Amino acid sequence: MHNFLSLKILDKCERMFSTFGIDYNLMRQILQVKLTMDQRRVPTIFNQNAKQETKNQFLKSLGLYALYGLILIPFIVFGENYIFQMGIVFGIAMFMLMMSMISDFSTVLLDIRDKTILDTKPISDKTVSVAKMVHVCIYMTQLTGAFALIPLVVGLFTQGILFTLIFIVELVLMGLFIVVLTALIYIFILRFFSGERLKDIINYVQILLSISIIVGYQIVARSFEFVELDVSFTFQWWHVLIPPIWFGAPYELILNQQLSNTNIVLSLLVLLIPILSIFIYARLVPSFERNLQKLLNNSGTNKKKRMRINQVWQRLVCRSELEKTFFQFSSLILKQEREFKLKVYPSLGMGIVFPFIFLFSYISTNSFEELSSSKLYVTIHFCNLIILTVVHMLRYSSNYKAAWIYQTAPINNKFVIYRATLKAFLVKLYIPIFGLVSIIFIAIFSYQIIPDLIIVFLTALLITIITYRLINNKVYPFSESFAFAQDSSTTAITFLIMFIIAISAGVHFMITTIPFGIYAYGVILFVANLISWKKILPTKVAISKR
Amino acid sequence: MIIIETSQQKVISLKKLTMNYGGNRVLTGVDLDVYQGQIIGYIGPNGAGKSTTVKIMLGLVDGYRGSVEIFDQDIANGDQAYKQRIGYVPEGGDLYDNLTACEYLTFTGRLYGLNEQEAEYKASRLIEKFGLEDVFHTRISAYSKGMKQKVLIIASLLHDPDIIFLDEPLNGLDANSVMIIKEILSQLAEEGKTIFYSSHIMDVVEKISNRIILLADGKVIADGSFEDLRQKNKEGTLEEIFNQLTGFNQHKQIADDIVSIVKEVEGDA
Repeated sequence: MHNFLSLKILDKCERMFSTFGIDYNLMRQILQVKLTMDQRRVPTIFNQNAKQETKNQFLKSLGLYALYGLILIPFIVFGENYIFQMGIVFGIAMFMLMMSMISDFSTVLLDIRDKTILDTKPISDKTVSVAKMVHVCIYMTQLTGAFALIPLVVGLFTQGILFTLIFIVELVLMGLFIVVLTALIYIFILRFFSGERLKDIINYVQILLSISIIVGYQIVARSFEFVELDVSFTFQWWHVLIPPIWFGAPYELILNQQLSNTNIVLSLLVLLIPILSIFIYARLVPSFERNLQKLLNNSGTNKKKRMRINQVWQRLVCRSELEKTFFQFSSLILKQEREFKLKVYPSLGMGIVFPFIFLFSYISTNSFEELSSSKLYVTIHFCNLIILTVVHMLRYSSNYKAAWIYQTAPINNKFVIYRATLKAFLVKLYIPIFGLVSIIFIAIFSYQIIPDLIIVFLTALLITIITYRLINNKVYPFSESFAFAQDSSTTAITFLIMFIIAISAGVHFMITTIPFGIYAYGVILFVANLISWKKILPTKVAISKR
Repeated sequence: MIIIETSQQKVISLKKLTMNYGGNRVLTGVDLDVYQGQIIGYIGPNGAGKSTTVKIMLGLVDGYRGSVEIFDQDIANGDQAYKQRIGYVPEGGDLYDNLTACEYLTFTGRLYGLNEQEAEYKASRLIEKFGLEDVFHTRISAYSKGMKQKVLIIASLLHDPDIIFLDEPLNGLDANSVMIIKEILSQLAEEGKTIFYSSHIMDVVEKISNRIILLADGKVIADGSFEDLRQKNKEGTLEEIFNQLTGFNQHKQIADDIVSIVKEVEGDA
């Protein structure tokens, strides 16, 4: 096991822990094991291209956090409107750190294995809970350090030493605040909801984090022209409710000598709230530990969910009883499997955002009227990028071993399984996304683009079946471990399909210049769909000998 | 080798079944006829090929040599219809646990040709009998091991199969549930169902099976009722017979070694 730097630093404080009655050697042992496990966990921030075998994902993810930290620099460098600038800086920092705290560190805060492993050994409760706290603090320090180090150095050179000192003190307070706030949120949720609900909430936070990183990256890359920092800040009473603004106040107070009452109050909040929340936390910890047990027991709801819409879709898109069965099964998995959602839903967010990115960059140089009379609606083809990710992911599941059921069941035509799964994807994930973007596009470009939208949809159906054939050919859905999701052999095919999507947008664009060409194109696509779906996933097969 | 003749019909017939896994011979020639109404206790040391045999019969594993006939149909002919009459409880207890018991059981029931309402109604009644009605609409991921096992057992019985393959089906079940399952198995056998039971727990196998098959090194080394085996091998329990037939007699020596190592650590501390 690795001897961690953080532990070596901690060794200097051995005396302090001992005086509080904590068995330092034991605590160090526990922390060493926990830090080793952290290294082997894949952080959410890597979700998009995770490879599980590579060592020390954690260190690498710190590098990524450092990269994201660069976003802060413009806000630090320009101007001396501190309450505004630093408000934004702390807003971004709090958001990022809070999100990663919840998505990656929940496993530590909510670890119930701790109970069976540690509580049965001759270790005092105090040592265990302090070890947990120190562990969280080490994580937070590393994360904040990685995120804020470069902005700190930049601040030192552009804004001076005093600025940097305030920054450091505030970062420490913010770190404490976030740790405690996260814990308090968990305490609150566990108190009123079941463990299953908490897992759902964590899952949604993870998805949100992934989406905001992808989307944020896209927006930040294009948004430097928007950054004009001569916004004037006038205090409103509700600003008190926004923590990042508190963190801006001390700068005004100390650096700009603005001794107004509001600045003093806000600065006091920065100091007092984190300390106060630690006390509340200390009071609530025992009940938290008790409620953690909820995660173990089966306290989910026992209500049957009605799926009327599903019934309608089933009848609409499926022919045989078997196909309906698999359609329903796949719909349920798409909706309920957390790991699948974590891998797939962020790319759905991308599917929504991508078409608009092009419109935004167009509108920054042209008027809205020019946009709505242009042919830029073909950018909706970028929605089809989600097909690529999702169809690829359809073969993976965290319960991949349960796929024995496909083979032990009396099914002669296995193609029905893939047909149903692809249809479930189209109905449950693609159509809602595409529909949403379509409605906005109709609002921008008028109802006259409806035939074009139908063309895009027909293209999507064709790309779905092609992608299936190229990537998932005859692999059962939900039958492989996510560990293999980053198989490099599919990379070439991925590019091929992206190329096909780009070509289809291009062809569509050219067809629109031919009068009535679009209708002919529609018929061609329809026939192509009919043939390829029939050919690749036949509804009837002859029984073949092995 | 003793072949038990019954007036009943032959339902499974394995002939010269061999199987290689990457040059490693897992089955070296299994010949076996199973008749309707038998409860077969299928035992053998780890790695003897028990699971492989079962998986071949279920169509989970390909590439075997020899012939496998179930209900007088060679399963290599590609028609999957014979699986309609088979139920299976796998050993790992793997199922799609993001679904609720209701959803999973309805799904598997429909796979075997029940319609949706029928499958759900039957599943709900069976779930109630196993005392799980409070969690019928809760995700299986929140279940304990024993509860999951009950769901798997229900899933294997839902379509009223004629042959049931069970791989360590009592895993995680409490004593009361174990009694229920044992009773179910013997009643089903009386009804003419065939049960193929593989397990490592010898006293359960000893009690419930009316025919015991011992597999070692990829072939059948003993076949007969418990009484037959006892007379032949002059040993008291199935466990002892098992040890004798598989040539294992160092358990005492190994245990002695382990205990002395454990003591050593204690002395040093």
